[in-house]
Formats: sequence, structure tokens, C-alpha cells
Amino acid sequence: MVKPTGWIVDLHPSAARASVEAAGACTGYVDADDAPLRHAAAGVALAAAIDEGLFALEQALVFSFYTYGDTIEELRDHVVENWRSARIDDDTIARTRERLRDSSGARPRIREEVHLSKLRPIAHSRSGRSSSGLW
Amino acid sequence: MAIDEDPEGHEIAALGAMVSFASCRVLEIGCGDGRLTERYADQAALVVAVDPDADAVSELAAAFPHVDARAIGFEELALPPGSFDIVLFAWSL
Repeated sequence: MVKPTGWIVDLHPSAARASVEAAGACTGYVDADDAPLRHAAAGVALAAAIDEGLFALEQALVFSFYTYGDTIEELRDHVVENWRSARIDDDTIARTRERLRDSSGARPRIREEVHLSKLRPIAHSRSGRSSSGLW
Repeated sequence: MAIDEDPEGHEIAALGAMVSFASCRVLEIGCGDGRLTERYADQAALVVAVDPDADAVSELAAAFPHVDARAIGFEELALPPGSFDIVLFAWSL
């Protein structure tokens, strides 16, 4: 699907657990079932495509993606409703509440580490294999 | 106030440091409700955005009628080879 001169760009969370933060401190983590395995698998899939010569990695970086709520309960509900098999446990909620009680105006947030990769398709004219046909 | 995702704009800043969407034909896989799509769609020449979540895609289609939003999975896509400058996997691999 991509032109030979085009780019494949992938965004996916790292295998690191998403952390819950309040007023500059980590108060716990999001329990996300098999998410670390799924996210690690995305990295493995990309690495395999590169190893097989379908793509060349041109650039990669990691950044933090923050999701804010006005309250920890709002974040808790958001995770349950929008993330796959994930929750924020009661201890983390209690620690976050306590931390926020001492910091007026602070908003709780979830921090996810996200991998961003830019790949160039590699044509395989002799074998007939083409990365642009696969993606 | 509601949930606020990436208000700092780290995601689009990182993307912008890597690729330019200007005048590009873009295929976004896993667009959801268009949270990321809305941040670059105005720069692109064409955006096809797909996601199996029909409700989310409806929201995207209503908010951004110039985006070709399709409620299908990646494996169901039938598009001519070499038709996009950028294929963006948005948290979907």
C-alpha cells in the first residue's frame, strides 16, 4: 500500500507498565493484563520485518504520552472503559488521592512510554517479494 | 473538564520531527475516534483512516468529513499498491 518512496510509521506503547502520577510522584501502575506482552510483540514484529529485509529502520525515538483526569476516579473509569482488560487498583487510587490532597490544583495523570519508528520499504524485484504490497 | 489525552502534544511533535504530512496521501491504521488524525489531517492531501470500531469511526467521520473514514480492519482493506506516501500504524500493531 505504501509507495516505494514512502514511509511506514509505527506508534506503539513500550512494554513498560503505564504509571499513575500525581503532583510529580509515581503513585502506582495501571494493571493491564497482557498489555506488556502485546506491546513487546509489536516491537518483535517490527524487528522481524526489518530482519527479513522488508523494511529499513530510518529513525526511532521514545516519548511520554500523558492522559490527565480531574480526579483519580475519572482516570480509573477511563481506563476501565477504554483500555483492554486494564484497571487501576485501590491502593494506587488511595495513594493518588492522598498525594492530591496535599497539592491543590494538581491533576492526576497516566504516563505511557511510546515507541515511534519510521521505516522505509525495500523493494525485492528479483524475488517478486515487495514490502509495499504487504503493508 | 474531561479526560485530556496528550495535551502537551508530545505525540504530534514526535511525529512531526520524523515525517511531514504536507501534501501526502496518508493511510492511518487504528484511527479510533480520530484523536491523532485531527492533528495532521489538514496538512495531508488525502487521509484514509480505518478502524474496526464502528462507533469511533462514526465520530471521526462526523467531525472530519474530509477524511475517508472506514469502519473495517486492516486485513479487509483493498487498496491499489503504492497508493500512499505514509502508512501510519497508530497504536495498532
